[in-house]
Parts: sequence; structure tokens; C-alpha cells
Amino acid sequence: MENNLIIQNLTKQFAGVSSVAISNVNLTVKEGSLTTLLGPSGCGKSTTLNCIAGLEEPTQGVIRVGDFVMTDIGKGVLLPPEQRQLGMVFQSYALWPHMKVFDNVAFSLKLQKVRGDELKKRVMDSLDLVGLADLADRYPFQLSGGQQQRVALARAVVTRPRLLLLDEPLSNLDAKIREQARVWVRELQQRVGITTVYVTHDQSEAFAMSDMIAVMNKGELLQFAPPNELYSNPATQFVAEFIGATSFLKGVIASMDGSRLTVRVANGDILKLTDRSSKSWSVNQNVTIAIRSERVEMAGAQRDGNILNAGVKSSTYLGSKWQHVVDTGSGSLKVESVDAATSDRMSLYLPPDSILLFPEEK
Amino acid sequence: MTSTPLTKPRFSWDRVVQWSMVIITITLVVFPAWPIVYQSFLAKPLYDKERDFTLSNYTKMLANDKFWHILGYTAAFAIAATILALAIGILLAVLINRTNLPLRKFYSNLVTIPYFVSPLVLAFAWMEMYGPQGFGTILVRTLKLPTWQLYSFWGIVVVAAMYYIPNTFLYATSSLALSDPQLESAARIGGATPFQTILRVTVPLLRPAILYSALLTVVSALELLSIPLVLGNGVGIDTLSTYIYVLGVVGVSKDYGAIAVVAIFVVLLVTVLVYLQGKLTTLERRFVTVGGKATRPKLLDLGKMKGVVSAFVGLYILLGIILPLACIVLESFVPFLSPFANPFKMLTWENYQGIFSSPAYRQSVTNSIYISIFAAGIGIVFMALASLTAYRSTFKGRNIVKYMALYPRAFPGIIVGIGFLWAFLLIPGVGSLRNTLIAMSIAFVMRYLPLGFSAVSPAVMQVSDELDRAARVGGATWLGTVRHILLPILRPALLSGYIILAISFLKEYAVALFLFSEGSRVIGTTMIELWKQGGAEPVAALSTIQMAITAFLIFGSTRLLGVKLHGK
Repeated sequence: MENNLIIQNLTKQFAGVSSVAISNVNLTVKEGSLTTLLGPSGCGKSTTLNCIAGLEEPTQGVIRVGDFVMTDIGKGVLLPPEQRQLGMVFQSYALWPHMKVFDNVAFSLKLQKVRGDELKKRVMDSLDLVGLADLADRYPFQLSGGQQQRVALARAVVTRPRLLLLDEPLSNLDAKIREQARVWVRELQQRVGITTVYVTHDQSEAFAMSDMIAVMNKGELLQFAPPNELYSNPATQFVAEFIGATSFLKGVIASMDGSRLTVRVANGDILKLTDRSSKSWSVNQNVTIAIRSERVEMAGAQRDGNILNAGVKSSTYLGSKWQHVVDTGSGSLKVESVDAATSDRMSLYLPPDSILLFPEEK
Repeated sequence: MTSTPLTKPRFSWDRVVQWSMVIITITLVVFPAWPIVYQSFLAKPLYDKERDFTLSNYTKMLANDKFWHILGYTAAFAIAATILALAIGILLAVLINRTNLPLRKFYSNLVTIPYFVSPLVLAFAWMEMYGPQGFGTILVRTLKLPTWQLYSFWGIVVVAAMYYIPNTFLYATSSLALSDPQLESAARIGGATPFQTILRVTVPLLRPAILYSALLTVVSALELLSIPLVLGNGVGIDTLSTYIYVLGVVGVSKDYGAIAVVAIFVVLLVTVLVYLQGKLTTLERRFVTVGGKATRPKLLDLGKMKGVVSAFVGLYILLGIILPLACIVLESFVPFLSPFANPFKMLTWENYQGIFSSPAYRQSVTNSIYISIFAAGIGIVFMALASLTAYRSTFKGRNIVKYMALYPRAFPGIIVGIGFLWAFLLIPGVGSLRNTLIAMSIAFVMRYLPLGFSAVSPAVMQVSDELDRAARVGGATWLGTVRHILLPILRPALLSGYIILAISFLKEYAVALFLFSEGSRVIGTTMIELWKQGGAEPVAALSTIQMAITAFLIFGSTRLLGVKLHGK
């Protein structure tokens, strides 16, 4: 039997609040993989993590790792956090200020009655893993932010927990260190082979580290997919908007031929596209099309259709590229280019494979 | 690895401790409260075999003109003392913290001295210095200058204000430290002079603090016993507290029903005020930590005035605090104190020998020390556990603990004493505890539960809750987290809470006044006994002993242990 983390029908409602914090979330995290809970603040990702940790009590649902049931509200099972055998890294690292690095890492082992040489060996192994064995005698305040974060990770994995829970562990680091930290957290997770749930609101972090990403909004799980699929085939307009700089145009389906459709946008231009969602469509249906700014091409070469002529409204230099906001006559588009715009008009090519289609949202 | 699904564990030490906190905090309030309520409906004293229920205690008291007169007098006294204490306290806080007043560092320590002195001692000190037969009064009279009457409404108001000034001063000072200096800088940039900035920005920003400490002081003054008793008793001045005292201790026929009714009335009145105060607290950002290291705007330059202002502040400290206290210390070393006889030629240990040769008096000193050391120690641990249950657990009863721990605030010390006394009389089995220090200690802990609880709680709330979450996920129970993580981190706060509690227990007299008996005297009760016998010099000796122990506690803890006592 695999030791997957299985979350079923997880719902959490805070007392005295009418809206639910998490609504009927179902999720399976494969043993040894890293799943990221991604979403804007208040989307329910941290609440979900805290429910897994046992720090919060869900209103409904089941949480188990393989056969090890941690929460089953229907059957009255709710293990307190200390009986779940987990490891967790917090946003502030939560290193205990009155204990040295060694004692911070040793805390859980001591509670498990690990003593003497065995204790020392396991603590030092864990500190070795994060490359901080020589700082064992320091106090937390004597460490840099990056070092504290690594100690927190060593502390979380020292007991070989069933799950590793990471609650925005990189958000307090400087931008530069944060990118390095991504790489080695991921490396460490793969080396230890521990099933991991990672919470962040930073999409690039999620893409860089995850096997699977669960996008959440307003307590609901919108899409659970590998990063590349999330990018290429977002399930909802919200997911498309949250992941990457995406522009939306309103239109009407003009014709259908299997998965090939044409959509007429406001000023009458017709755009061809290939639909990869499994939704059903009908002619004359109101729809929203989406395109990522990096997929829009400057139409220099000959193209067969899918050309929009647009006036440049603003251009912003971002260092490695330019970002333009243009008016197509059917709505605004965000467009990226390497070179500055040469005139105040441009013609744009929207590749049919890059256009996403969504039902119009009320 | 498999596990059988288990229901919530039936037994855990976490729950035992958390339930104990609920039960103990409720018991501490209910135990002394119910005999008073019960007595208020009884025609006869509550230990009497006959139990006739009646409302006549209430109707009699409400029809009693004297009661209404005393109520009005008490209110006038409390409000006048509060206004005076606020005016001087805030003025001193602004002068010392925001201007270039010469000697301001030195003054800031001296101003808070009355905070650590029992109001009973302060009353005696002022009596010895400025009373009709006081050292200072006689001196002024012999110089043919006009004198004053300390035993009067305004005399009592001034001494009470002296006692409360440290509170208003400290409150305004901490509020000044918390206020964002950028607000003052903005006023300066906008063209305000330093003086205008203080008047238009700094002081108005203190408004929540002023209102809050005004209520705190009014509540405290309403229940103040010592100063009105010592200064007003001889000339027939009564406040609600001294009225209860007179009814219960001095009166020939003790009217238990009347005592109970007045006590209930006072508790209800204070409850309303404490409730208002609680409302204000939520409006205030009390627990916001001082943010950033933004530079303070330049101190207000007092210019040519600064020498004069500094001299006035110095004179206030000298006349109001130093001389009265020095006077009582000196008096403890002489057979009698008079401006006509050089005291330094008649120095003697007689007064101290008198105290220590009497077993009863000696015991009152050792009892006070025992209570300060042991009851305060046990008390602070209990208060810390209560605070951790209230603010650091998911226990369902945590809100009960939160409210019950603060509610004793509504019980004046003298009423706590009466309540415990009657409870020990009524409840079979516990009566044998009545004459012991254990009974006294429980009553003291109850009385100071709100103080200790609110001394510890801000520190508890400042510890990031991720620290205990990390411990729980790491395998520790709630109690394990408390023991290994929270209590060690809170050690400095607990230590200063302990010292504050120990000093308060040492000073306390009102709780003990009804409750004490042979064997459970404390310094405060003995002082009042001796004062009633007219022994000014032994009272001075006891006052000096109490101040010496307090000073020892303060210097020992701040210098040796690095404790901060009023980092409110």
C-alpha cells in the first residue's frame, strides 16, 4: 500500500463567519512527491495546511497518509498535532530562541526518548543535510535568515516524519537567496524522498519546485495538475489570470469544427483557435478568450490570419524586456517584446495553439 | 504502518491543567462572593442558627441618609484625586520625556517612589510630616506662617493623588514611548514650534491613555481605605471603604446585613467602571510593540525657564515624597520626633526592639515575608498557567479563564477579606484553615490575580504562536510545549511578575484587615493596630521595615537579576 496523503471532502468553517474557509477539497499527494498549494492570500491554502498539521479543526473531511488516519470528522477521529508524526517549517521559521541550534533540532527526538550517541548522530546528520553542522552551538539570533531557514528544515526532517509541511518558508528571505533556497529545498526533498506539501502565493516558486500544483481561490480547489499542464491548459479563467500575465477578450463563437473553433471579437475580427479543454461549446455562445503576453507575436512575417491591429497605450521597460499595453479595438492586451516599440501602432499575431477559451463569466 | 482510528483521547494532562484553571479562577471569585450575597438577604448574622430571609437590609440602607452622603463624598473624593493625579502625572511625563528639563533622568526615578510604597505608609508619612502635630506643620507654625488642615477633604485628596501620580505618570510615559515619532515630525515640518507640537499633537495623542488611566485611578480611589482612614477617621470623614471598616470592625454591634449591602453596592459600581475600562482597552493598541528605530524629534527647549521649572519639580519631589518618607524613617529611630529637640541626639533602637520583642508583632513581619516569597511564587505560576490557557490553547473554556482572571478587579481588598472570612466561617471543614497563612495567601492571590494575569499576558501574546505550533507538530503535548518552550521563553516576564506580586503582597493590608487573627497577622494589620493604640513610633518602625524589604526586593531584582518592573 502506498503512503499517499489523501484528503477527502475537507471543509472548514470558522465560527461566526458565514463564508467557508475551505470548501470540500479533495487531493491526493503521491508518496515522495511535492505538491504546492498555490493561491492569493485568504484562499484557504494555509488553513488546509493547518488542518493537515492538526493545528486547526476542520468542520468535515478525512485526512490520512496511507492507512494512518489523522482526521476523520465523521468517525470522530482527530489526532492532536503531536500524534501525527509530521515535520513543519513555518514562515517565521519558529526557531525557539532559548535553545541552541542543536537543541532545536534535538527537541522532537528527545520527546521520542532518543538519547546519547544516537541522538547526537541523528541531529548532526540532519544538520549535515542542510550544511550547518558547524553551527550546532549557536543560538538562533546568531544566524542569518537563510541559515535559520535551513535549521528549521533540519528540525522538520530529523524525525523522518510521514509528511513535510512547508508554510511559505521562503517568503522572509531576500530575493537573491530565495532563488537559491528554492533549488536546494527541492533537492533536499528529493534526496530524502519525503512526501511534501508546500504553501506559497508565489507562482514562480510553485513552478520551480512542484511535482503537482493545487490552485485555490476562496476556499475552493480550482485545479490540481502538474506545472506544465497548469500553464498550458488552465481550468478556469481565474487560474489563467493568476498564473502569468494573461489578457482577456470577450467574443462569440462563430464556427465549430471538432476542436477547431473561430471566435468573433468585439470589432468583428475573427480568431482561429484550437480548444484543448474538454468543455462543450456551441455556436453563438458568449465566451472569453485568453492569451499570455509572452505568446503574442509581433506580426513581421507573413501569417495566415489571427492578426489584430492595435494602438500602443503604454510601454514599460522591465529590464530584460518591454511590456506594452495595447488597444485592439476589442479590448486591451498585454504584449511583451525584446525591442522597444517603433511606432504607436503594431500588428499582432495570436497563435491558434496559444489561445485559451473560457465560457463567459457573469 | 497502520493505526486504529481512535476517538479523541479520554484522558490528557493538558485537559487536567486547563480544566483546573477554569475551576480555580471561578472558585476564587465565587468563594468570597456568595457569602456576601447570602448575608445581604439574612436578617441575622450568617453564623446564626436562625435563617430568616429578608429584603430589609437593602431597604434600610437605601433609606439611610448617611449612606447617600458617604456615597457622594466618596465620588467627589475619587474624582478630585483622579483629576489632580492626572494633571500632575501627565505634566511630569511630558516634562521628563519630551523637554530638556535639567535632572530629568534623576527625577524620573524619584517620581515613581510612591508606586512601591504602601498607601498606608504614605498616609502615616504625611501625617507625621504635615498632620496637625506633624514635624513640618509645627515648624511652619513656629515661624508664624499660615498652616493647613491635613485632616480634611482636600488633605485626603492631595495625599491620595500623591499615591496615584506614579501610575498616571508611568501610563503617560509608556504611551509617549509608543506614539509614532513621525507624527510629531510631521507637525514640525508643517510649521509647528516644539511647544505647539506638544500641545496640539503629543498630548492629544495621549487621550486614550489619559481616559484609561483616569478610570483606573477612579476605581482605585473608590476602594482606597488607608488614606481616608488614617487622615479622616479622627474628624468623622467617611468613604465607602472606611464605612465598611467602621461597621465591621469598630462598631459596637456589628451590622452584618449592612456590611453586605454596602459591599455589594461597591462591587457593582466598580464592575461597571471596570467594564467601561475593558471597553476602552479594546480601542487602544496596548500591545503594539515599539516599531522601528525612528529618531525622536528634538526635545523641547525650555529655554530660560528650564532652571525654574526644574526647581519646581525638585521641590515637589522633596516636599511630597522625600521629606515625609524621611520623616517617618527618622521617627522610627527616636523616642519622639519634634522640631524642638534635635533628633540626632536621641537615636535609639527602642522602637525596633519593641516590635521584635513582641512575638505577635515579630510574627507579623515574618508572615508578610513568607507570603511575599511563597504565595507570590505559587501565585505567579498559577497566573502564568491561567494566561497560557486563556491565550495559548484551543481549550473551549479559555474565555471563561480570561474573564474570571480579571474579574477580581471589581472586589476592593476589604471586601475580599470579608468574603473570605465569612466563607471560612460558613463552610464546614475549611474553618480550620481560617487562622492560617494559607487562608491569607489564597485571599491575596485572588485579590492580585488580575494584576499578575495582566502583567504576564502581554508577554504571552508577544511570543509568536508559530513557536508553540512548531513544538506541537514536533511531537510535544500542550503541557510539554508550555514546559519546554513557553515558560522558558517567558522567564523574564515571570520573574518581573513575581517581584511585582511580592511587593504587592508585602504592601497589602486591606484584605487582611477582616481576615487576620492570632497567628496570621501581617505588617499592615499590625500597623493599624498600633496606630489605633496611638503608637506613632512603632508604626514608623514597621513602615521603615516594610520600605526596607521593598527596596531590597527592587534593588535585588533590578540590579542583580536585570528585572524590569514597569515596562508597561
